[in-house]
Amino acid sequence: MIMAPFPVQGITEGDFVVVLVPVDTEDPMTAVAEKIAYHAVNRRVPEDDRPMAVRHNGRVLAGDATVIDAGVAPLDVLEVVYP
Amino acid sequence: MPRLARSEWYDLARDMNWKVSYVDESEAWPDELSTGKGIPMEDWWGWDESYKVSYREYVHNQVGKDAAVYSVNSVLARSKMFSQLDPGWKSAILAHYGAIAVGEYLASIGESRMGRFGRAAAWRNMAMFGTLDEIRHGQIQTYFPYGLLDREPRADWAHKTFHTNEWGAIAARHLFDDMFTANDAVSTAIQLTFTFETGFTNLQFLGMAADAMEVGDIDFGSLISSIQTDEARHSQQGEPTIKILIEHGHKEYAQKLIDHMFWRSWHVFALLTGLSMDYYTPLEHRSHSFKEFMDEWIVKQFLDQFRDFGLEPSWYWPEFLKETNWYHHALHLGVWFWRPTVWWNPDGGVSPAEREWLEEKYPGWNDSFGKYWDVIGQNVRNGKPELTLPETFPMVCNMCQIPLCNPAGFAAGYLDSPAPLIHDHGGRRYTFCSKPCRWVFEQNPSRFQGHMSIIDRFLAGQIQPATIPGALAYMGLSPEEMGQDATDCSWAFANGTILKKGA
Repeated sequence: MIMAPFPVQGITEGDFVVVLVPVDTEDPMTAVAEKIAYHAVNRRVPEDDRPMAVRHNGRVLAGDATVIDAGVAPLDVLEVVYP
Repeated sequence: MPRLARSEWYDLARDMNWKVSYVDESEAWPDELSTGKGIPMEDWWGWDESYKVSYREYVHNQVGKDAAVYSVNSVLARSKMFSQLDPGWKSAILAHYGAIAVGEYLASIGESRMGRFGRAAAWRNMAMFGTLDEIRHGQIQTYFPYGLLDREPRADWAHKTFHTNEWGAIAARHLFDDMFTANDAVSTAIQLTFTFETGFTNLQFLGMAADAMEVGDIDFGSLISSIQTDEARHSQQGEPTIKILIEHGHKEYAQKLIDHMFWRSWHVFALLTGLSMDYYTPLEHRSHSFKEFMDEWIVKQFLDQFRDFGLEPSWYWPEFLKETNWYHHALHLGVWFWRPTVWWNPDGGVSPAEREWLEEKYPGWNDSFGKYWDVIGQNVRNGKPELTLPETFPMVCNMCQIPLCNPAGFAAGYLDSPAPLIHDHGGRRYTFCSKPCRWVFEQNPSRFQGHMSIIDRFLAGQIQPATIPGALAYMGLSPEEMGQDATDCSWAFANGTILKKGA
């Protein structure tokens, strides 16, 4: 298993802007959500105790699915949501 | 002055039109430089401008204007006026000089292209005056900030900005190259003079001149008023050009040129003027909100013009009207949060009194935008400046080159989705902030497809080291030049809490 840097366009629910976030191909969606939310939560969006999930093309992805497993392409838009 | 009245000789003297015989018309006026749409040359000779001036009158007028403006500047240079200006207003004029001064000079290229490749002598004559105007505007807006250098070193961005890869400079170059530096004469008349100048800058300069006088910046006010008088004249090259296109059945083509450039102008206008009017101008001196200005001057005027020419409001008009409610608020938030990436000090401008004003002018502002500033203000007050600064980049639109603020439009209830528009073309992925930006690309992909946004450059490894400091260096920003909050975040402590430094 080789991890490789992988740029995605990240949006955190409630935030105002799309940000560039480098994730790794083998990151599970739980880690991807953390990496994206890091740039918004407590900076412009209040902290929320609910579990986060990642939505891709309108579909919420399983937390243990990796970037590669989920079929995410470079610069795809990933939304961090509180389902 | 001449013994004959101008009207007795003007038409004869300016109509130096003749049918070329030693070369083909297509060689003298190639389509690439002057898209004639097959309209016979003689039909262009009816081109008639509404504001007439002779060369002698032009020189006489310009000398008077320069003498007046430079006199004001010379007197005020010895005063403390600039030092006593509001910090937010200083930011507004620093942003203005950087974004506009060299752009004006570049506009002289577009004007001189019309001066050579305009399809009527009257038009070429007017464009030569326009060329001289734009050279003047480039020079005067470089000279005035030059005089500020001992008080504000970043005034050198009036000259420097366009020579850097700062993201706003990339956005401005992309727009201005499309509009006039790399445009044909016919399109330039419609896109630069009619759409951008008549539609936006002419009115913006009037508004800014009034605001400048209101805040006591007589220097900038007199400068901008003087420039506006030139703009009012040379911006009229668009109307006769549109008339000829429409008379010859090219209404759809004219409409497309306007739609294309109106949208592009709007986005840069919102970035520059929206922030200045609603956040940087001191509250007590604001005579109107940006939206009120847009509604009264830009929207109304364009609708009148569309009606006058038998054109239709652009297909994206409803989307544009919605954006006037939220887009510049999102840009302000982004510029402030990514403040190290700009050459001026963004003024947060969200003290309780200012928020009250914003709520009054934009009902719902506190719920849609105030909530972000609540979190930021809390971090400032808690002494956590690191949480008010970026650790990554915003994605930018591959057309307007401005950060993608779609989530703000969605959160405020104006967009159906927070996601930007993805467009795969020629094996490359493009991202657009809006349907109109994507539409402009789709109209002529070969014109735009090779351009790399600052994010594309970052991902392609052109920015090294690939870090925030590396990117700031790539943008030409030294630590001393990077923007900070204009008032050291005093807005966050406006309820009397002791000010903490560091944000």
